[in-house]
Parts: sequence; C-alpha cells; structure tokens
Amino acid sequence: MDAADIQLRNVTYRLFVEHGRAPTAGEVAAEAGVAVEDLHQAWRRLHDAHALVLSDAGTELRMANPFSAVPSAYRVKAGERWWYANCAWDAFGVCAALGVDGQVETSCADCGESIAVAVHDQRPDDDGLAFHCLVPAEQWWEDIVFT
Amino acid sequence: MNLFRSEEHIERWLGGRAPGATLSVSKLSELAHAWWHDRLAPDWRPHTREQNQATLDSLGLMSRFWRLP
Repeated sequence: MDAADIQLRNVTYRLFVEHGRAPTAGEVAAEAGVAVEDLHQAWRRLHDAHALVLSDAGTELRMANPFSAVPSAYRVKAGERWWYANCAWDAFGVCAALGVDGQVETSCADCGESIAVAVHDQRPDDDGLAFHCLVPAEQWWEDIVFT
Repeated sequence: MNLFRSEEHIERWLGGRAPGATLSVSKLSELAHAWWHDRLAPDWRPHTREQNQATLDSLGLMSRFWRLP
C-alpha cells in the first residue's frame, strides 16, 4: 500500500458518502482516471492492509469501515441518509466519520427486541444498553466479517 | 460486536461461552468517535498499530483483551 493506493482509498470513501452506497470498481476507476484492473489491484493491496474489505469475489467492496456495502443488522440515520454499518461499534462510527448526530437502529442480539438509540454530540441517549465484543483484539482481522 | 438490552441479555446470549468484553453504550460511542472520526478526511493516512493501541489505552481499554496484534 503506497501513496497512490491511499489516494484511491480516499476517492473510494468520498464516493461512498457522495452516493450514499458503495461505489463500484468502475465508478472509482473512472473518478480517479485509472484502469479498472489497476483499481482492482490497488483495492486488493488496501484489503490486505485492512484499509477496506473486499467481497469474497475480490472485485467489489464489502466494507469501507465503518460503512457496510451490504445490508446489515445495524442501520444508522445520519447526515439525512440511512446507512448500513458492519457492527455496533461501526454504527456509532458512522456518526463519528460523518461528524453528525444520528440514530442507530438494530435489535438485541439476545432477545430480538428493537433497539433505537439517538446520538447527540457524540453521546447516546440510552446508557442502559450494553455492548459486547466476543473476539479479542488480536484476532479481529482473522475473520473480520465474523468479528 | 453487538448491542444488547442489558448485561443480563449478554449473559443469556453467551450461554456458557467465555465472555469477551462488555462496555456501556456511552463508552462505545466514545470509542467509535476516537477510532473513526478521521475516516473521511481528504488527507486520511493509515493509522499505525501504535496509534490504534494508544486510542484504546486513552479510553482505559488496557486489558489483554484489547491488545492489538
């Protein structure tokens, strides 16, 4: 991962926010003025460096953390748009990355009851909820989708 | 990395498995903002392992569970 790869990563993230969804490889390549094959190779290096996560096929985005490129159990209203996040940590991260207040919606992983928590000035409005991380930090990237 | 109604729900969900780490949702939000706040900066650069560990340490997440590889 070199400076050119990081630039492509930053273009990828910018388009994600502008479109409100994951950009395709073709969209990022066109925006950056590079060939799609070169973009794929850069995305692979960024994936290997944990700067983004590719789909199993390796040609499209799975995660631009904290954003999820696919529907998930964590929906976030932030910046006048709905987003998907990869997990509870990332759900709050969507508000952090966008620098806005928001609302996280999900369900209790145990009982399935709906959970909605608003975030104002970085503070959630319901501190009775609890967050649990099962996988220790040293193993997070062994299977980031499971983590 | 999930949200639960309460710590009792976490215990039930674990069903005897070894627990990981539990945080209040306020601490989670604090962590998320410290970790993700710069991800959309036009000049974003990758964080080093040391920078990430310092972020965790600064929030008091200093147990072995929070040690990055």
